[in-house]
Amino acid sequence: MKTNIKYSMKKYNISLTLLFLLLWGFSWAQETTKAVEKRESAVQLSFYKKADQTKTARVKVTAKNEHNKYMPVANAHVNVYALNNKAEELIGSGVTPVDGQVVIDLPKTLPLDADLKFTLIAKLENDLAFEDAKDQGSFREANLTVIVNPADTTRTVTVKATQTDKDGKEKPIANATINFYVQRFFGTMPAAEDKSATTDETGTGTFTLPRDIKGDTAGNIVIVAKIEDNDTYGNIDSKVAAPMGIQLAVDKNPFPRALWEPRAPAPLVITISIIFTCIWCIYFTLFYTIIKMSRDKNPPTPTGKPPYGLAYEEWVKE
Amino acid sequence: MIDSETQELDREIETLREDCLRPTRHWSAVTIIWVIFLMLVAAWGFGVYIYQLRNGLGVTAMRNYVSWGLYISTFVFFIGISHSGTLVSAILRITKQEWRRPITRSAELLTFVSLCFGGIMPIIDLGRPDRILNLVMFGRIQSPLIWDIICILTYFTGSTVFLFLPMIPDLALCRDRLTDTKSLFGKFKKWLYTTMAMGWHGSAQQWHTLEKCMKVMTIIIIPIAVSVHTVVSYIFAMTLRAGWDSTVFGPYFVAGALYSGSAGVILGMAAFRKFYHLEKYITPRHFNLMGQIVLALTLIYAYLNLNEYWIPAYKMASTEGALLGDLFWGPYSRVFWTLQFGTVLLPIVVMATPIGRRILPLSITCIVIVIGAWIKRYIIVVPTLLHPFMPIQEVPADWATYFPNWVEWSVTMACLAGIFLVITLFAKMFPMMAVWEVAEGMELNHDKKIAYAQRKKREEALLETEKVVIG
Repeated sequence: MKTNIKYSMKKYNISLTLLFLLLWGFSWAQETTKAVEKRESAVQLSFYKKADQTKTARVKVTAKNEHNKYMPVANAHVNVYALNNKAEELIGSGVTPVDGQVVIDLPKTLPLDADLKFTLIAKLENDLAFEDAKDQGSFREANLTVIVNPADTTRTVTVKATQTDKDGKEKPIANATINFYVQRFFGTMPAAEDKSATTDETGTGTFTLPRDIKGDTAGNIVIVAKIEDNDTYGNIDSKVAAPMGIQLAVDKNPFPRALWEPRAPAPLVITISIIFTCIWCIYFTLFYTIIKMSRDKNPPTPTGKPPYGLAYEEWVKE
Repeated sequence: MIDSETQELDREIETLREDCLRPTRHWSAVTIIWVIFLMLVAAWGFGVYIYQLRNGLGVTAMRNYVSWGLYISTFVFFIGISHSGTLVSAILRITKQEWRRPITRSAELLTFVSLCFGGIMPIIDLGRPDRILNLVMFGRIQSPLIWDIICILTYFTGSTVFLFLPMIPDLALCRDRLTDTKSLFGKFKKWLYTTMAMGWHGSAQQWHTLEKCMKVMTIIIIPIAVSVHTVVSYIFAMTLRAGWDSTVFGPYFVAGALYSGSAGVILGMAAFRKFYHLEKYITPRHFNLMGQIVLALTLIYAYLNLNEYWIPAYKMASTEGALLGDLFWGPYSRVFWTLQFGTVLLPIVVMATPIGRRILPLSITCIVIVIGAWIKRYIIVVPTLLHPFMPIQEVPADWATYFPNWVEWSVTMACLAGIFLVITLFAKMFPMMAVWEVAEGMELNHDKKIAYAQRKKREEALLETEKVVIG
């Protein structure tokens, strides 16, 4: 009997060990497969130079999803290199947030080639979840200067586009398309339906600012001029503040009669208070009545439940 | 003859009392297994909820666009089901429908339980439930969310009182007839019945007070119930979102709640009749009459449904048009049309015939109605959230779609299990029929019979006298 138990225990132990090994092997195999299955990805690089002369690289990472569509991906680690005499020099890195776009700050000076251009390379490399991908672009540094004269009744905005030459002098950029915007709280708004101007051989472009743009309480607006997605210069912008907008009249009562106004309308408060006070008063009266009922010491009715209402009064008299 | 009939009535009432008390006296193996199963489901769901609390709402399928998913759909559904008690009990009481007597308790219980669990669904939907007090402390009276809290709390209190009041004489009956007073459970039951019976001994004054309180509650609970579901609809209708920005939402929600709630009552009736052997008291007549009520409510609901979709469909205005396109011929079309034909029009056809109002076909129809009502709430909540005025673009793929994941299903199923568990435990502790009310009905019938017999006797005597005079 004892031997039998020992034998069956041994058999049980062997089965358990085998099962454990099988499960471990299976999970290991799953993990290995997971690590091998990297998603096909793509990287898109853009160069930005802001009005305050700061330079940034915006890198967008997308990867194929289960429906074979490229969608933005989060948590992808991206490196940005600058090409210096054919050698790649790491100048910044970042991790993509949920929208798949990471903005990486660039140094003030970048290594230039013979054509006075700098080359940026964005790389998604050695990532566990995504295949390696890269994008690169060569850009030339440019500057925009916006000139406005608030006293000018024609409301002309002039912009000058220049690039630095080999001898260090600023030279005009001809035939560049410049778009004009007005700064708003969450971004920039096109200044007009046709918001573009093209620079002439002196690098100057002009734009007539519409009269119906709303400004702050003093009528100030911020005019933004941009070169956008240019093959040579990337994205450059410049801005200037000027009192060329319509003065904003602040509404003293911006939300009349609305339920989301800061203070509840008195009729609403009164109505709700009356209705619910009445209901809760009835409840409390009922609670009191029930408690009073529980203290009743009268004898039980011999014939069960008595009649109700007027009949009850008669019944009590009887 | 009168004496023998009175004795027969006493025997019948005694049988009724014992029939109602029998389920509270012993637990069958099936009941124990059922309770253990429900407790396991509830425990699993509770564990998953703790997991959700620890890791945040990111573990659910809800994202920025669909922030109200299965939880809020279930909240609206449970609040809808809670209308059953008010309809069947209060309306039938106020209209003095004699046939209501055996079914009021189960209807009132369904209200109480579905409100308990409906009320916690929005709290489950919160990532930080510890901040719920902020809503009370810093809430704005002009916000529909505050109206909702006030109305649901008021309705819950009212429904609890409305369930409790007619239970008092039955609790006293349980107290007086409790056989097992030695065991720990027996002692607990004795204490519970004694406390809850509130010193009831059936004096004339107590009967009078009870009747008065019930009359007051019956009158005020109906407008409160209607207000609750109207205010639930305001949470949606007070926004400018396509599909929710509708003036018909208040009555539409109330009609939908009554339609699904009364179907829920029929299911409760069928279950208690079957499992607690109440066939003698809950008869096919009750099902036929309840079937007629559900039929009338389904017709009203179908009419409001038509208004809700036909008017915006005629205009097909931008975002609303895109939403309706998704519902009519897009990704939700199969569910939408199945709901319209399968859970609204088909039940109307079935319940319009006397055969369709028999116990089995009516119960099946009501199961279809209740499941359909649940899915309908989902169809009201989710597709609208996926159609904001600003188009969804450049976002991760899982933000633009929604289907509840295992976390949401687990927690929701636990709440459903909780409802069944509370109902089962209630039925094992208290009579599932208002014993004194059914007995009162029997007495009234008996009185009618005697009055009829006496009248017949008088008429016969009169005829005899007339014959003698003519002769």
